[in-house]
Amino acid sequence: MLKRALELWKREKDQKGTTLHRRLIVFFILISVSLILCFTLLLMIFGITGKAEKEVNNHLDTELANISQTIHDDFGRISLGGIAIAEELAHQSDIFFEDHDITAAELQEHRELIVPLLEKHIHTLLNTINNRICGGTFVILDASVNTWDLENSKAGIFLKKTQPTATDTIGVDVHYLRGPAQIARDHEIMLLGQWKMEYDIEGQEFFQKVIDTANENPDLSLSRLYYWSERETLKGNSEAGFLLCLPLRSKDGTVFGICGVEVSDRLFKLLYSPKGGTYKNIFTLMSTSQEDVVYSSKGLIAGNHYLTGNRWSIDLAYEREDVFEYYTSKEEEYGGKSTSVKLYPNGSPYEDEEWTVAVLIPKDLLEEACKGNVSYFIMTIMILLVASIVASIFVSKRYLHPVTQALQSIRDTSGERKNVPYMEINDLFDFLEEKDREHEEELRQREQHHEYMKNEYEKAQLELSRLAYSRKSEIDPDLYQQFLDHLFTLTPTEREVFNLYVSGKHAKEIMEILCIKENTLKYHNRNIYGKLGVTSRKELLRYAALMQQDSKGGKYR
Amino acid sequence: MRRVLQCILSVGVMLIALCGCSNKSLLDPKDPVTLTMWHNYGGDMQATMDILIDEFNSTIGKEQGIVINVTTISSSAELNKSLDMIANGDPGAPEMPDIFTGYPKEAIKFQEKGMLVDLDDYFTKEELELYVESFVEEGRIADGGLYVFPIAKSTEVLYVNQTLFDRFVTATGADPALLETFEGIAQLSLMYYNYSGGKQFYAADSWFNFSEVGMAQLNDSIFDGEALSLEGENYEYIFNTIYTPAVEGGVIIYDGYSSDLSKTGDLVCSTGSSAGILFYGDTITYNDGTVENVEYNILSYPTFENGSNVALQRGGGLMVSKSDEKSEYAASVFVKWITASTQNMKFIEKTGYLPVTKKAFEEDMIDHLENLEDVRIKKMLTSVLAMYEEYSFFTAPNYSSFDDDSDEYEEHFKSVLSDARYEYLAGKEVSFADVLSNMRRK
Repeated sequence: MLKRALELWKREKDQKGTTLHRRLIVFFILISVSLILCFTLLLMIFGITGKAEKEVNNHLDTELANISQTIHDDFGRISLGGIAIAEELAHQSDIFFEDHDITAAELQEHRELIVPLLEKHIHTLLNTINNRICGGTFVILDASVNTWDLENSKAGIFLKKTQPTATDTIGVDVHYLRGPAQIARDHEIMLLGQWKMEYDIEGQEFFQKVIDTANENPDLSLSRLYYWSERETLKGNSEAGFLLCLPLRSKDGTVFGICGVEVSDRLFKLLYSPKGGTYKNIFTLMSTSQEDVVYSSKGLIAGNHYLTGNRWSIDLAYEREDVFEYYTSKEEEYGGKSTSVKLYPNGSPYEDEEWTVAVLIPKDLLEEACKGNVSYFIMTIMILLVASIVASIFVSKRYLHPVTQALQSIRDTSGERKNVPYMEINDLFDFLEEKDREHEEELRQREQHHEYMKNEYEKAQLELSRLAYSRKSEIDPDLYQQFLDHLFTLTPTEREVFNLYVSGKHAKEIMEILCIKENTLKYHNRNIYGKLGVTSRKELLRYAALMQQDSKGGKYR
Repeated sequence: MRRVLQCILSVGVMLIALCGCSNKSLLDPKDPVTLTMWHNYGGDMQATMDILIDEFNSTIGKEQGIVINVTTISSSAELNKSLDMIANGDPGAPEMPDIFTGYPKEAIKFQEKGMLVDLDDYFTKEELELYVESFVEEGRIADGGLYVFPIAKSTEVLYVNQTLFDRFVTATGADPALLETFEGIAQLSLMYYNYSGGKQFYAADSWFNFSEVGMAQLNDSIFDGEALSLEGENYEYIFNTIYTPAVEGGVIIYDGYSSDLSKTGDLVCSTGSSAGILFYGDTITYNDGTVENVEYNILSYPTFENGSNVALQRGGGLMVSKSDEKSEYAASVFVKWITASTQNMKFIEKTGYLPVTKKAFEEDMIDHLENLEDVRIKKMLTSVLAMYEEYSFFTAPNYSSFDDDSDEYEEHFKSVLSDARYEYLAGKEVSFADVLSNMRRK
C-alpha cells in the first residue's frame, strides 16, 4: 500500500514537479534538524552524557570518604575512651580487692562482694554515659551472685541512654538494663522493662573471646586488647549495637571481666547517615567482611533506606565493576562504593578482622541516577524537533500564502491584480504585463501582415489565372490533347517521377527521394518525354501546369 | 492554528489543575520524605513499634515515598522535658521531631505557638467516624482542632503479685475482697507490713491520679477551674485513707515506677497504667540472684467505699509538627496507617493498650482475646473490658498549666508523706492534721 502510494507520488512528482510549499517545508525541516543535531552533537562532545554518572560517583566518593573518616575517628576516640574506663574500673577494683583482702580470682568465692564492687563501678559508668555520645555503657564480671549456672549468668551493669547523642543535657535519662536493682534505686535510675539482674551470656561469644584473648596475651596493653563486637543484641534486649569490649585486668594480671561502650543502632543511624539531599535512598552499611562477602546481617545501617530496622538477615555478595561495586542478596541489589576501615592498631590480636564501610543505593535507583537528566535531554530534543517541524509547516505556509494568492490571482479571469508584499513578485507581475502588452502588439502586427499577405495572394492568384489563360491560348491543342491522352501509359515509376516534377522538385531532389542514379532518372525522363510527346522538361511542366489549371476549372478557360 | 493553540493551552491548564488537586502527587517514591519520630513505647513495646514502623517503611512508605526514622524512644516524662525545651525555644533544645507521642496537655503549649498540625485538615469526616468518638474528642484542644490523634488508650488497674498475695493470705487469713477498695488496701498494707517484717504492700505510680480519680469517685473534683483545690472533706478523706499506711508502713512513696519494686519482690500490688503490664515481667529477682517465677493478676481499679466506679482514661496520641505541606501530608499518611484497625490490633496484642478504632475496640479485641499468646496481655484486656462494662471514665482536663500543677502536686505529695514517714521512723510524733495542713499549704 505504502509502496504504491510512494510510486504514485513519484509519478505525480515526475509529471508535475513538487509544490513550492512542500519544497519550502523540506528545506526548513532540514535546516532545523541539522541545527538541533549539531547542538546535540556539541553537548555530547562536551560531556553532557555520562555527567550524571560522574556526579553520582563523586557524590558517593565524597560521602564514603567523609563517613569512613568520621567512623574511623569516632571509633578510635571511643576506643581510647574505653581504655580509660577499663583502666579506671580495674583500678577501683584493685583497691576494692585490697580493701577486702581478696584477689580478683577469688571474687566468685566471695559473691557477697559482687554487688558492693558493682556499686563502686556505677559512678564511672554514669559519668561515662552522661558525658559521652554513646548508646550505653557496661561492665560484665566473670562472676555471678547466683549459685547455679555460673557458666552463663554473669553479674554486671548495663546502662542505656534514651538519647544517645545527647551529653550533659536535661530530658535525657539513663535507664538500667542489667544490674542489681538496689544500685539503680540508690541512684534513682529507672529499670527498663527488659531489666534482668544478671547477664545471660549463653551464645554471646564476645565476652569469652575478650577474656580469652586477654589471657592469651598477658603482655599486651589495653590499647591492643580492645575488641569491637559485630552487631550484638543482648538477650532480652530489643536494640542491637556494636559493643566496644575491653578486658578488666587486675594488678596481678587476672582478667576478671569486661567493660565497654555501646554504639547502638539508633546512635549509628544518627551519626552516620549520608546526606539525603541528593540521593534520598542512600545509606551507610558498616560490617565485617571477607573477600567478596559483606556480613551485612552482622552490621548496622544508617540512612534513609527502607530497611531502617537493621533487619537484614542475609549477607551480601559483592563484585566490583567499572565504576561501582554491586551488592547482591536473594531479594535486593545495591550499588555503591566501599572502603575498609581500620579499627585496630598494629599488633592487636584482632588486626586481621576486616571491617567495611559502604555507601549504597538500591541498584535500580543508582542506575536511574546515573542516567541523570539524559532522558529529559532526549525528551527536550524530541520536543524541539517536533516544534521545529510544526514551525516549518507554519512558517512556510505563512510565507507562501501571498505567493499562492498571487498565483491564484493570475488564474483568476476577473483580471484584477492583487497587491503582494514581495517586491520581486510585483516586479514579475510588471514584467509579465509588459510582455503581455508586447505580445498583443506583435499579434496585432501579425494579423495586419496576414491580411496584407492574403490580399497579395489573391492578387497573385488572379494574375496567375490570367497568365494561364493567356498561355493556354499559346499551346497547340493537339499536342496538349496527346499529352493528356498518353498520361495513363506511364509506368508507376514514370508516374512517380512525373508527379515529382509537377510538384516542383528538381532532378537532384527526385534522385534523392526515389534513391535512383542520374542515368536511371535520364532513362525515365526519355520514356516520359517519348510517351507524352514533349521534348524538354520545360514543355512537360507547361503542359502539367495547364492540366492542373484545367482540373481546377480556371476562370479564364 | 488558533484552535491548536487553544487546545494545547487547555490541556496544559488541565494538567496543572490535576496536579494541584492531589496531595498524593506531593510524594515521590524515588524522592522519599524522611520524618523523624519520637515515641514513648520503649522496653518490651519497642520491638512491636519497631516492627510496625518497619512494616510501614517497607510497604506503604516505600510505595508512596515516606521513611519514618525513630530518633528518640523514651518515657513520656522524659520526652516531655525535651519537648518543653523545644516549645520554649531553649538554647540547646533538640530539633523538633516531625511526629511525636504525647498527651493533650502537652499539645497545648505547641498549639498556642502554632507549631502543631490540625489533623482535621487531613482526615475526612468518614475517616474520623471509624474511631471511638470520645478518644478523638480528647485530642481536640483550644480552638477545637484535632491536634492529638489517638493511637492507643489506657486506663489504670490494680496489679497484684498473686503469688506473694496468696502466700500472705494463706499465712494471715486476709480477705482478698479488701483489694476492691482503697480502704481495704490500706488495711491490707498495714497487715502485710507487719507480716513481712517491714516490706511494702502497695504503691501508686501516680499519686496525682490517685487523688483526682479518688475525688471523682466521691463525686467531687480536685480541680477548681484551672487550679487545684485540696480543701473539703472529700480530699481529707482520701488523703487520710492512705496517710496511715504511708507513714506507719505498708504503702511506699517511691520515686519511680512500682514495676521496678515488683521485679524484686519489694511490692505486692500497685495501681498503674494498664499499658505498663509488660514492665512487670513474670519473675522476681531477689538480691542473691534467685529468680522466682510468679503470677500477676490484673484487677479493676479500686474505689473508695462510698464512691462510685470511676477510673482514669488516658493515653497519648500522635502529634504532627507544622512544616512543609509534603511532610505534613506524609505524616498524616503514617498516622492513618498506624491507627488503622489492623495495625492498631497488632499493637494492642503485644502491648496491652486499648485500641482506638471502633472496629478494633468493639469487635476485633473481643475476637482476638481467646487467641492471644501473651497471658499477661490476655488478663489485662479481659480485666479492662470488664471495667468498660462497669466503670465510668474520667478524663483529666486540658489547660495550659495542668502539667505543672500535676507535677508539683505529685512531688509535694511524696515529699510531705516521705517527711512524715521519716519523722515517724525517727520516733517523732506525727499528726495527721499537721501533715494535711502541709499538703494543703502548697
